[in-house]
Amino acid sequence: MNAFEFANAPTVEAAVKLLTPSDPKTDPDELPRALAGGQDLLTTIKAYITPAPRVVNLKTIQGLDKIADDGRGGLKIGALATITAIEESETIRKNFPGLAQAAHSIATPQIRNIGTIGGNLCQRPRCWYFRLETVKCLKKGGTECYASIGQNKYNAIIAGGPSYIVHPSDLAPMLIALNATLTITGPEGSRTIPVQEFFALPKVSVRHENVLKPGEIVTEVQVPATALAAKSTYLKFKERESLDFAMSAVAAALEMAADGTVKDARLVLAGVAPIPWRVPDAEKALIGKKPDAATLLNVAQIALQDADPLEHNAYKVPLTQTLMRRAIASLTA
Amino acid sequence: MPTTQPGKKTILVPKIVNGVPSGEEEIVVDDTDAPAWGPKDKHRLINTYLPRADGPHKATGTAVYTHDVKVPNMAYACFVTSPHAHARIKSVNKAAAEEVPGVLAVVPFPNLEEVRFEGQPVAAVAAKTLEAAEEAAHAVAIEWEQLPFVVTAEDAMKPGAPAAVNGGGGGRGGFRGGGNRGGNPEQVLDALKSCDVTVEATYTSVIMHHCCLETHSVVCDYSGGDSATVYCSTQGCNSIATDAARELGLPASKIAGIVYNMGGGFGSKFGIGIVGQWACRLSKKLSQPVKLVLTRREEFLGAGNGPGAIQTFKAGATKDGKLVAVHCIQHALPGIGRSNIAAQPYQYHAEHTYREQTTVNTNEDSSVAMRAPGHPQACFAMESLMDELAEKLGMDPVEFRKKNVPDPAWVRQLDAGAKAIGWNRNKTPGKSANGSSLVRGMGCGIGAWGGGGRGGCVATVNIGQDGSVTVQNASQDLGTGTRTYVRAIVAEELGLDYNDVLEEIGDSRFTNGVASGGSTTAASLAPAVKDAAYNARTEMANRVAPHLGADPSAVLFADRQIAGNGKALPWKQACAFLPSGGLSVRGEWKPGLSGNGAHGASFAEVEVDMETGHVRVVKMAHVQDGGLILNRMGAESQINGGMIQSLGMALYEGRVMDSNLGVMVNPAFNDYKLPGCLEIPELIPIIDDGDERNQVIGLAEPANIPGSGAIANAVANAIGVRIRELPITPDKILNALAQQKNV
Amino acid sequence: MSATPSPPANGSPADRKLSAVSRRGFLKGAAVAAAAAEGLLHQQPPASAAPAGDPAAPMSGPTPITLKVNGKDREVTVEPRTTLVSALRDHLDQPLTGPKLVCNAGTCGACTVILDGKIVYGCSVLAMDAIGRTITTVEGLGTPEKPNAVQKAFVEKDGMMCGYCTSGFVTNISNFLNKHPDPTLEEVKERCKGNFCRCGTYPHVFAAALAAAKANKT
Repeated sequence: MNAFEFANAPTVEAAVKLLTPSDPKTDPDELPRALAGGQDLLTTIKAYITPAPRVVNLKTIQGLDKIADDGRGGLKIGALATITAIEESETIRKNFPGLAQAAHSIATPQIRNIGTIGGNLCQRPRCWYFRLETVKCLKKGGTECYASIGQNKYNAIIAGGPSYIVHPSDLAPMLIALNATLTITGPEGSRTIPVQEFFALPKVSVRHENVLKPGEIVTEVQVPATALAAKSTYLKFKERESLDFAMSAVAAALEMAADGTVKDARLVLAGVAPIPWRVPDAEKALIGKKPDAATLLNVAQIALQDADPLEHNAYKVPLTQTLMRRAIASLTA
Repeated sequence: MPTTQPGKKTILVPKIVNGVPSGEEEIVVDDTDAPAWGPKDKHRLINTYLPRADGPHKATGTAVYTHDVKVPNMAYACFVTSPHAHARIKSVNKAAAEEVPGVLAVVPFPNLEEVRFEGQPVAAVAAKTLEAAEEAAHAVAIEWEQLPFVVTAEDAMKPGAPAAVNGGGGGRGGFRGGGNRGGNPEQVLDALKSCDVTVEATYTSVIMHHCCLETHSVVCDYSGGDSATVYCSTQGCNSIATDAARELGLPASKIAGIVYNMGGGFGSKFGIGIVGQWACRLSKKLSQPVKLVLTRREEFLGAGNGPGAIQTFKAGATKDGKLVAVHCIQHALPGIGRSNIAAQPYQYHAEHTYREQTTVNTNEDSSVAMRAPGHPQACFAMESLMDELAEKLGMDPVEFRKKNVPDPAWVRQLDAGAKAIGWNRNKTPGKSANGSSLVRGMGCGIGAWGGGGRGGCVATVNIGQDGSVTVQNASQDLGTGTRTYVRAIVAEELGLDYNDVLEEIGDSRFTNGVASGGSTTAASLAPAVKDAAYNARTEMANRVAPHLGADPSAVLFADRQIAGNGKALPWKQACAFLPSGGLSVRGEWKPGLSGNGAHGASFAEVEVDMETGHVRVVKMAHVQDGGLILNRMGAESQINGGMIQSLGMALYEGRVMDSNLGVMVNPAFNDYKLPGCLEIPELIPIIDDGDERNQVIGLAEPANIPGSGAIANAVANAIGVRIRELPITPDKILNALAQQKNV
Repeated sequence: MSATPSPPANGSPADRKLSAVSRRGFLKGAAVAAAAAEGLLHQQPPASAAPAGDPAAPMSGPTPITLKVNGKDREVTVEPRTTLVSALRDHLDQPLTGPKLVCNAGTCGACTVILDGKIVYGCSVLAMDAIGRTITTVEGLGTPEKPNAVQKAFVEKDGMMCGYCTSGFVTNISNFLNKHPDPTLEEVKERCKGNFCRCGTYPHVFAAALAAAKANKT
């Protein structure tokens, strides 16, 4: 691990100041890094993937870990709320069950106790090549996505290129299904955007997985009360149940009509694309239908219609189709 | 015939080199009566359920391992390793490394010009803190000239592939010549023609890692002067002093080699290794203690591995269930090393067999011994083949096996295992009874291991005038329970309680121990301890008998008392008759007390989700013989551990290489997947008490052998398609099912 | 060899050389001075140390801090990059041996410690981030002479072989039983899924957890 400076940020403003590089042209991997849970940050620093010159501790900022009611039945989740807090929140379990499930699916109790929602959204990719210090891949300023021509069993089948990472967050797809927004604070103030717009495809931004600019941090996530929230689920498939990132996962939120048809639906895939991947065509194919077996098959087909697998990951197509069918079925049974 | 001295005899014992059985050797032992173990069912401590002697310290974090050792003025060392699979070192620039604050030494390895695997150490760095050492190691700038490499067997077997090792290649890619052969291939191919069923198939298993939780590590406590203490995480405490003496230039007798506890070895830790060499060299250079601990990444890349194997069969059986002909080409995949995969048809008997083994070298670290070297690989392939044949015969796999095993022990074990698992195979593979996507299946397999005791072990029992009892030997406890049985044997012999005896092991200054390889430790050490305890008892009887007015041969040791002639003395009181220096008695390994040849059978039941490819092992049973069991609790732990490691091999583990870059892509616990809590099925460890041998036989390795084959067979029985390559991961299952649908 | 060496009983650190070495001379002396001279050390001790100046001022280089370990305030000099497990194992004057460093990546559980009542991976927390928080390691839960119920059950059920994962499991389960006094086997597995064992001791670990829960109730 390289040596770095460590600073405790007393306020969001101080954090932003500490995180803003003096030279705006600083390489993205050499920017000061924000420390929340630190589970991903420390592994990337230890492995010399992101040789941060400075680490800014956000946990010293009072109140950034609160999970609060937004006054309209929705949630305001501070960026430093731990995954455990989300998983164990009675309100979330009751009113946003999919979010509690997504939180529970993450890593291990030790990591969930300290990992945060903000950190989970800002994780770096888990691609084998990205995680190797000795390999300078496209995401690290190199010229090649080695996964695309190498060992790509876990990589993207949708919207890949030029990099084929998959985004590792479990909360993000669920938050997108729940129509959540998040607030970013930086040198130029704050802005709130849909979680979906937080993530950037490699063809837009190959070095970053999101739209954060130098000096910016996520400060809050807002989950609105919607008719979809109560019927939400996160179905994650892990190769190794004990501890793994998603081989594939589906976040689904539905609103049912009185006649047993689907009134509204939001469906998001994880583990298959460089960003959480919403499938609007599949949603359209589901809305207005009774969720019978034939409909589910059709919806699952459509959800994966854009899949273009690499050499070793075609299995993700039937796997994800299965998860899609099961996720919807579990909400409508 | 060699001439033996009077009172001596020559016997054959297993020869083990670095954990790998390497034939037999002759040794000379005393031709005298040895103490006997006594009836198996009459023991007070051994062959019962004993808590681990080191348990209280391990459970409270106070047991000291090499990683935990910290001595005054200790420097921390790190390796600089090669990022390339094959390269020449053009230059090494130490300047930046030497500028890191706290750095004490930066030493490129002398005379090293070429590296042949990623992770090969090329320089060592020492600093005052671990952080500084790591940073400095990272700052050593090496200019490389990359050379052609091969890192997959597939690439290595292509004609014209670059040679991974000197003398390899030769127009045959990565093949190394001189493969060993056995049998007449034409005869086997002829015999196949008269078989009722035949199977042609290739089975592949990949390179695996030991994943000892404690990585290779050494602390050399030497500050100049004429003596040193070397702490080492090794399976061979015995050799620490000799190995370190070479590096330090001291007499071995002035070096204490210490292995108080170690965090796993599984075959990967013999001698002090390159880690110890450099800890010693840096310590000598600095006249300062040095600690060198491999990082997890370095452990994956350069601390040894278990070889992969590609095994291609043509085999046939007759409809009465007789295995008749087996033709097998075995490719061992040991990186740049050499390795042996156990010969086919593994434990089965066939009238006509041909076996040819070749090594396919790649630019990866050398394979070393790994729990039952070469056996799980051979077993997985042969057991898969047996089920494929049984299926074609329409015969139950257990019955088919029983017809072809050469030893009745396996018949007994197959029956016991089948009973324990509730043997009931899926009659309609690929389908479940209720139409759900979850299908179940069962499979089994058998294994064998030589093991056996070797001469050379000497144990010492010390009895103090105050009644304290210690038993000493240089051997180490890998977690296998050595401490526990050493203590129990002595306590039982002397009529004492288990906690009355203190075992002192893992120190090379004690009387001769044995390196833990080939499951030979217990069979080598327990007899020596028994002999020492027996001698101590005899000596105590001689001393105490006069005070009881009894004949020494009629003195009894029981209930912490020494009794005779109608009188009894409490142990402590009896010991007060000893001279102030107490009593120190030795014992040696005696052949009659240990045996060899362990048999086992594994059974597995799995549930597979046909739509996701997820495999859940529902239940496993393993039946294992081991002669006289020293500690039934420890033995059951070992059997469970064997099943779990075979589960890892079957479903999760494997080194993954990138053939474009020549690098291992998963050198971390996140990506090299060990089974965790949620992967653990119901496990039924069964000690085969039908084994009547009253001899100590090691069982650590055999418990690891047949499980992966049993699971592979269970998966095939569940889904109706056979996966012939380990690990059996969801992608392989989904691909195989998709292929089947398309056919 | 004439002199009989005396190794620790059952591998405990009886050898006094194992237990202590002062690093403070180096850390508080030369290196700090050097760092300061180079202008690298703009540090102010963090909250729990003497507060002065700008609390947000970045710290670098060896810095003395206080950690609250097993009920005692322990002074230790660490760098910002020093992890909690390294501070405990490598930097304390009387180093701890319970939490082990195995994967150094938050994926095995051997370094599990209890931080403010919750289990965390000691390798994935910076020492400076643990200032002012309550740290409990396996050593703080019991001793060989006076083990807690979980430690006792681990011995009785043989919840260990090589023992290198044991501290992490014991720490995790001890903390777990506080809030879940009567867990099912499935709950134990779920709770321990971030702790890995290579010897394959798991079934014995599960049995020990359940036995300890039972023992706690009686």
